[in-house]
Amino acid sequence: MLNKLAFAGIKSRLKDYVVLFSGLVMSSAIFYMFEALATNQSFIKNNTSVSGASFIFQLGAVLLTIITLVYIFYANSFLMSMRRHDYGMFMMLGAKQRKIGQLILLETVVIGVIASVIGILVGWLLTGTLGNFMMSVVIGSRLKHFSAFYLPAVVTTVGLYLGLFLIAGVVNWLSLTKTQVLQLLKGDQQPNRPVLKPVLQVVQVIGGLILLAVGYYCMAHVQTIGLFAILIALVTIVSGTYFLFNAIFIWLVLLLKRTSWATKGLNTFTLSQLQFRIRNYTKMLSVVSILFALALGAITVGIGFHRQIDLMANVNSPYTMAIPDATTVTQKRVDQLKLATKATYQQKETKTTVYYNAAELKTTPLQRVTTTLAELQKQHRSNVTVHYGTMSTTQLQKNPVDLELLQSGAQQTKIAKVVSAAQFARIKGTAHKLLVFRVANLKADQQALKTIQKGENLAAGTVLPGGYGMLVLSTAIYGGLEFMGLFLGIAFLAMLASCLMFKILSGASSDKQRYNMLNKLGTRGGILRRSINREVGVLFTLPGIVGVIHVLFGLQLFKLLMINPYDQIWIPFTIFILLYIIYYVITVRLYERIVLPEIQINN
Amino acid sequence: MNANAVVSVRDLHKTYGKAGEKQYEALKGIDFDVQPGEFVGIMGASGSGKSTLLNILATLDQPTSGKVTIDQQDVTTLKGNQIADFRAKKVGFIFQDFNLLENLTNYENIALPLSLQNMASSKIKMAVDAVASQLSIAETLPKYPTEISGGQKQRVAAARALVAQPTILFGDEPTGALDSNSARDLLEMLTSVNHEQRVPVLLVTHDPFSASYCQRILFIKDGKIGQTLHREGRTQQAFYQEILDALGTFN
Ligand SMILES: Nc1ncnc2c1ncn2[C@@H]1O[C@H](COP(=O)(O)OP(=O)(O)OP(=O)(O)O)[C@@H](O)[C@H]1O
Ligand SMILES: [Mg+2]
Repeated sequence: MLNKLAFAGIKSRLKDYVVLFSGLVMSSAIFYMFEALATNQSFIKNNTSVSGASFIFQLGAVLLTIITLVYIFYANSFLMSMRRHDYGMFMMLGAKQRKIGQLILLETVVIGVIASVIGILVGWLLTGTLGNFMMSVVIGSRLKHFSAFYLPAVVTTVGLYLGLFLIAGVVNWLSLTKTQVLQLLKGDQQPNRPVLKPVLQVVQVIGGLILLAVGYYCMAHVQTIGLFAILIALVTIVSGTYFLFNAIFIWLVLLLKRTSWATKGLNTFTLSQLQFRIRNYTKMLSVVSILFALALGAITVGIGFHRQIDLMANVNSPYTMAIPDATTVTQKRVDQLKLATKATYQQKETKTTVYYNAAELKTTPLQRVTTTLAELQKQHRSNVTVHYGTMSTTQLQKNPVDLELLQSGAQQTKIAKVVSAAQFARIKGTAHKLLVFRVANLKADQQALKTIQKGENLAAGTVLPGGYGMLVLSTAIYGGLEFMGLFLGIAFLAMLASCLMFKILSGASSDKQRYNMLNKLGTRGGILRRSINREVGVLFTLPGIVGVIHVLFGLQLFKLLMINPYDQIWIPFTIFILLYIIYYVITVRLYERIVLPEIQINN
Repeated sequence: MNANAVVSVRDLHKTYGKAGEKQYEALKGIDFDVQPGEFVGIMGASGSGKSTLLNILATLDQPTSGKVTIDQQDVTTLKGNQIADFRAKKVGFIFQDFNLLENLTNYENIALPLSLQNMASSKIKMAVDAVASQLSIAETLPKYPTEISGGQKQRVAAARALVAQPTILFGDEPTGALDSNSARDLLEMLTSVNHEQRVPVLLVTHDPFSASYCQRILFIKDGKIGQTLHREGRTQQAFYQEILDALGTFN
């Protein structure tokens, strides 16, 4: 009988369950996808050559786990908000508490299992298509050693979700059996009357600021403190954000309520809506602001890595390529490029040394990049301008490293020496010619350069010295990081979206009555809608602002990996904020659909 | 027809359910007027259509056919914002289940209709204080609806209905959820408001005692007005007796 009742309850709220399920399925799909990509050992070994990358992938996995935890917490509270009333009703009708407890445990776990199984299937599909596609776009070639199905990822995903839902189920059971029936029935109708405690509030603000400062400091000084700093920063920033919100949000709402602005239209109501669930909201806002920061930060860093590739290629060497003993075919190909500079240098190679003719280097001096790193960091244009100068022979005689960097193959390990023309003629060694050139625009000639490099029959995995080779290498290295950043950014954004959605939808059923009453009292539809826009708007804006601040400080962390993490930061910010605004509009529409009554009521 | 009537209802029909589905005709042709300052009761068995009638009058529902004029305005032709503004300015409605917003204080609840008209906050305060002292709920103003009794809640709801000085006051069993003492208080208060401010009151009720406060009572049976009683100078006690008798024969 009770089972039947419980099922009837589910059926009557099918729409809400669809929302819950789609959210959970999406979350577990993302989790699986990440696990399949990030923990797939054979894949990682074959596609990234940085030691840091593995750590970053692990950090990503930890972050995603934490977010998933929080996420399930919200999903569960949404579930409970749907079921509280039903279960209260069953108890009123005389159902045993034990029975109710079993029922809620069962329901929670069943939902978890179904959601994670469907999620893995969806994740499998996504990994094979979208994941593969993203990777190939970023890295520039199809992936090797990659399969969308990865058993350890399946096990981790099922394990995590099952475990979390078991815990959630037990928590629900305990909380339900401890709550009075009346409370279950009334739900969150009890007003939360916040009082201003100025001393506590000031303490919270100061404490929050100190915690944030510690967190930001840690991030800016990872180099000296070590990776442990990231952990400290995570904890202090989360708690600091919470304290700040807790103190400032309540204070702000109460302050606004006292102004005459509050007495206009529905403003009192809007403020009361915020005040009514103030404690829940501060918790959520801190979580959301962290999610926001993670999502925005990840996307910023992802796009930053992409630019890094260009920067590295442009500033690494004054020449695009240095080709030893170029064939006539190759020379013809080179001449077809749009060249900025080109030169050929004689070499004489012995067992340990490669000799260069000083006279030759005097008539056609070797070039060097004169733009310093510091200058480069200040540039904020999409195409960096790099300046070139020349090297004098005396400079090269003292320190021939610029020449050594142009040597490839067997010459790579040999030292370079610049000698006078007379000496050069006397040296016994195999004679070579080194062709160096720089194209006017690396990007434009990328395809032709690829053909040239192919024609040189290099050993596998090696490149010719110069900017083009750097481009190829850094695409492989930073491409993986860029993928991580974009993937995590999108994953976090999706989670953020659902967290906010669950939170707002949890309150929708009681809000529905309120908006219905306001309608009966003669509130215009436009005014109701404006109230909703504002309420949801506050819930979006506050964590957004805090999130942006987090990101601006958090980017310090990436000074380790990037020349200038703040470069062209407006691009990812604009993209992200646009996405965020679109998401805001969708949420408002969804919410309005649920809570807004027709002006004409038929009751 | 009386040109001075505040409310005039002509041949009002209401059928629930869309064409093709199972339909139910709740109102089958209702005609009546309410004169300025009148206190009119509507009685009838459960399901006879009392709430349906009142909801249509208060623009909370639309009739299938017929005409409702309130304050010289045909309310059945109002659209969108006009409806909202009409409810806010012309109609005061007291519901059986109070319909207070539990996330607003009682003060804010009462002030709401005035806030919606963007009145200056000092004026709002004056109006709310005045109506609150009239209904003797001044001390409950800073509290939340969940922190006061049912009787007090209904007074707050009444204060909210009256604060914007509506053309007419509707009550759908406003005493239904109250004990007899609170019910008596509320009715006496409604009567005095009706006397002092000449606000016409239209009250749906089951309870003969509540009905005995009215000057005229319309009995609805099967969607039509079956009988009308007038108090006409009799004592409340005598009128009460007559209502009881009428109910005996009517049902
Ligand atoms: N939304 C609706 N859809 C279909 N039928 C309805 C609807 N609302 C009311 N009815 C029907 O119309 C009739 C009149 O209902 P109404 O609520 O007006 O009765 P009432 O006189 O107020 O009863 P009570 O004294 O019990 O409140 C009833 O038979 C009811 O079942
Ligand atoms: Mg009724």
